[in-house]
Amino acid sequence: MSARQFFRSPWRTAGYILLVIVTLLWLVPFGQALLTSFRSYDDIMIRGFFSLPKTLSLNSYREAWERGGMRYYLPNSFIITIPSLILTLFFSSLSAYALARFRFPGNRAIFFLYVGGTMLPFQVLMLPVFRLTNALGLYDTYWGLIAFHTAFQLGFCTFLLRNYMRTVPGEILEAARMDGCNEFRIWWQIMMPLTLPALAALATLEFTWIFNDYLWAIILLRSDHLKPVTAGLATLQGQYVTDWTVIVAGALIATIPTVIVFIFLQRYFIEGLTLGATK
Amino acid sequence: MKRYLLTLLSLVAILTVVVACAPQTVTVTVERTVPVRETVQVTVEKPVAKRIVIYNSYMSDPAPREADAALVKMFEEEHPDIDVIHSTIAHEDFKQAIRAYLTASTPPDVMTWFAGNRARFFIDKGLIMDISDVWEKEGWNESYPKGFRALSTVNDKQYFLPASWYWWAVYYRKDIFDQYGLKPPQTWDEFLQVCETLKKNGITPITIGTKYPWTAAGWFDYLNMRVNGPEFHINLMLGKERYDDPRVKKVFTDYWGVLIQKGYFLENAAAYSWSEALQFMIEGKAAMYLMGDFIRDSYPDELEGNLDFFRFPIIDPNVPIGEDAPTDGFFIAANSQHPEEAKLFLAFLGSVKAQQYFADTLGRLPTNMGVDTSKFTPVQLKGLELIKGADYVAQFYDRDTTPEMAEKGMAGFMEFWDNPGAIDDILARLEAARQEIFAGQ
Amino acid sequence: MARRTVLYRLSPYLFLIVPLIIYCIWVVGPMLYTIYLSFTNWDGVSSPAVIGWRNYQKLFRDPVFYISLTNNLKWMLCFITIPVVGGLALALALNRNIPGAKFFKTSFYSPMVLSLVVCGLIWSWMYHPAKGLINESLRLIGLDALAKGWLSDRRLVMWAIIAVGVWRQVGYVMVLYLAGLQGVDPTLVDASRVDGCSNWQTIWHVILPLLSPVTVVVVVISIIDSLRAFDLVSVMTRGGPYYSSSVLANFMYIEAFNNYKMGYGAAISVILFILSAVFIFLYLWRVMQTEMEY
Repeated sequence: MSARQFFRSPWRTAGYILLVIVTLLWLVPFGQALLTSFRSYDDIMIRGFFSLPKTLSLNSYREAWERGGMRYYLPNSFIITIPSLILTLFFSSLSAYALARFRFPGNRAIFFLYVGGTMLPFQVLMLPVFRLTNALGLYDTYWGLIAFHTAFQLGFCTFLLRNYMRTVPGEILEAARMDGCNEFRIWWQIMMPLTLPALAALATLEFTWIFNDYLWAIILLRSDHLKPVTAGLATLQGQYVTDWTVIVAGALIATIPTVIVFIFLQRYFIEGLTLGATK
Repeated sequence: MKRYLLTLLSLVAILTVVVACAPQTVTVTVERTVPVRETVQVTVEKPVAKRIVIYNSYMSDPAPREADAALVKMFEEEHPDIDVIHSTIAHEDFKQAIRAYLTASTPPDVMTWFAGNRARFFIDKGLIMDISDVWEKEGWNESYPKGFRALSTVNDKQYFLPASWYWWAVYYRKDIFDQYGLKPPQTWDEFLQVCETLKKNGITPITIGTKYPWTAAGWFDYLNMRVNGPEFHINLMLGKERYDDPRVKKVFTDYWGVLIQKGYFLENAAAYSWSEALQFMIEGKAAMYLMGDFIRDSYPDELEGNLDFFRFPIIDPNVPIGEDAPTDGFFIAANSQHPEEAKLFLAFLGSVKAQQYFADTLGRLPTNMGVDTSKFTPVQLKGLELIKGADYVAQFYDRDTTPEMAEKGMAGFMEFWDNPGAIDDILARLEAARQEIFAGQ
Repeated sequence: MARRTVLYRLSPYLFLIVPLIIYCIWVVGPMLYTIYLSFTNWDGVSSPAVIGWRNYQKLFRDPVFYISLTNNLKWMLCFITIPVVGGLALALALNRNIPGAKFFKTSFYSPMVLSLVVCGLIWSWMYHPAKGLINESLRLIGLDALAKGWLSDRRLVMWAIIAVGVWRQVGYVMVLYLAGLQGVDPTLVDASRVDGCSNWQTIWHVILPLLSPVTVVVVVISIIDSLRAFDLVSVMTRGGPYYSSSVLANFMYIEAFNNYKMGYGAAISVILFILSAVFIFLYLWRVMQTEMEY
């Protein structure tokens, strides 16, 4: 339908205008955050939000980056997210393969154990995981956090990969088996390449999830210089209680990585979401 | 089939290696991203050339944060062989995290904390190191006033280093008072008069930010001490008086409630933290703030000339005068992994040099009598006078009572603020909480 | 050949062993341990002592528990209505080839990439009573009376926080429905048109029933998400003023880590778990049904 055809109906046009208005309202928080971050707090305080900004500058960003500590919070987030991501994908693809491709007693039970875990209100695990991490000597290290993320995300990843692996035609695997391939090779050389689209989607989704975690970071880490960006932001807020321009600038810095993922891997991100819910 | 097994075995082997290598991997990443390399020692048990001490501090407001960092630097210059691994944690987060710190296998060695009940709790649990030897060696038994020594002592042993203290008072804008011909009120009636005049002129008489409700606890402390006297107040804090006592109720209905009902407090106070609420005073839209002296850290230097303070007005002249003057300090965790270094650092923090620096830059009052007071600013002298004129000095609501009671109490104050009519309900609930909390003690 | 069979039978376990151990240590074990802790008086410092049902008895008398529970229910109610209806409407509107569809879609799901902490901070600033965009806008158009203390008024604060959650959730639901619509057979829709159905009738009688599996998933996910709500409250109000925006997860966090009542906190989590378990089983049941179709 061409645009002209589309707008011929007045109802449709009215609906369209409504849609445009709602969409713009939806974007207001972003615009407001961007505007704020380039102004100085005094400017907003004295002249009000709707004044013409006196000056626009990157000062708030500089402040959040340098003194607010974003310059080490941000790398920390990557140090935590990337190993967690790799480990959880690796382990879940192992277990997903077993659950998808073998009939054995307990298959269904283990599967439900994983699915049930995804739905768990994870706060329930807070105290014991804190104790466990402490007992293992992993408290206040990156590895404490990585271990938990790896384990907790296993549930969702296994669930999703297992469903995906089931859609792979059995003949391919059977042929390989006939050729004398061992199961480990079948998993690695045949199944994994076939699962790549799902892995990509899952990786994208999991990246944003782990990256955006806040609760576990504040529970399993103590040192300021190990904190990821979410926990760092909360510290930043405690530090700059009054200076909203710096807080907002920090918040925007914290979103850059996920926004990049979002822009470049949008397709996978959406696929991941829908895979999880509709399969 | 052997190959199959081999593959699986090697997989397990690889995993084991990965796990075993984990601490080393941390080394690399830590080194790359963080200036303080020495954290590594926590995970890798290798001898490190430099000695370290881990220091966690809650001084997260900009001015104290800088002074804190400067102190660390001074110490490191004095002891070039020791590195201080310094983390600053937002004040409110610190209070929540301290138990995790103390029970962790590698706790921070030195921590900032509050003197009095809040330290006592951890001392009783055996989580704070006995530092009597440091007191002895540094001669603090002589150079610290008896009161501060008593505050740090349990069963004849010292566990705490009180390092600085400050007073609470009603801070006000001199220029605004002058503009409307107001004088600092000394009695309750004068105080109400001042509020009324300000209100009529479109100025918020009293600013307060209760997002974190301890600011409201300051009001309760003062009103209760002025109305019922410090003795009753401290007994209430210790769980020896009832919250549903008519004397407590009077504080709410006859005094606090009046201020709220007349609209003398800042509107939407619960939306602001204490320093956000201060903005209104800086902008000249509000005139008074009941606050600790750390208010001056956050007040712009160029405007400090028009900031002054007065003693919380006297309500009943027959009642002894109580004041809040909280003491802050440091302690060493009982299972500190670097006790030698920690003691050296603590000795430095309690030294005349460190306290002098802290007093001069932040205007806190020092605890060490060796500190040169001749350079005290008029503000410091005035604060000192204020406390000297008091019959009793309390720490503060959330330091004088237990953490749980404080939590419940402050939530009760906030509820009263919103719904003064529910005071009987609120006090009944607080009384129930008091009975439960203090039953076990 | 016999050896091969044995090995073949063994291999699923070999594949599973490492992940399953990790999973049990970090997820299943802690879950069980929480249940144990809920029967103790652990304060995070001393060693836990078993005290029977005392934590639960206290919990059921605690007014804050009921406030938190009610708030979770409010959250749930909003989450299973507004984002579901809104997301469905958007999906239906944007599934057609209207001009700028991609822009609209992106706008609605962009909040989803923000972490809840970031959402909370940005919206706290929007809600700022003195200088926030919302109140400033209201004053600009002369509606001063409506400029409220969004996060300080006990009657508004919960709704203000839920609104942020909804803002983030709508795009998510929309994406799920869009995916669901891909699976709707266009010939069925055409057929209904041929039969003289109006647009609304088609949606109501043909498309909606076809989307019902997606709806079940969306509703379950929304319910679980609303039970898990924590970050927004933690960043925006910490449950204040005086517990009026407290939710169960937050209440538990405060009791455990602020008041050091770890055993009591564990009891709260167990209740939270039981509540979610109902919906988890609902979900598992649905998964099982799909399983049967294989």
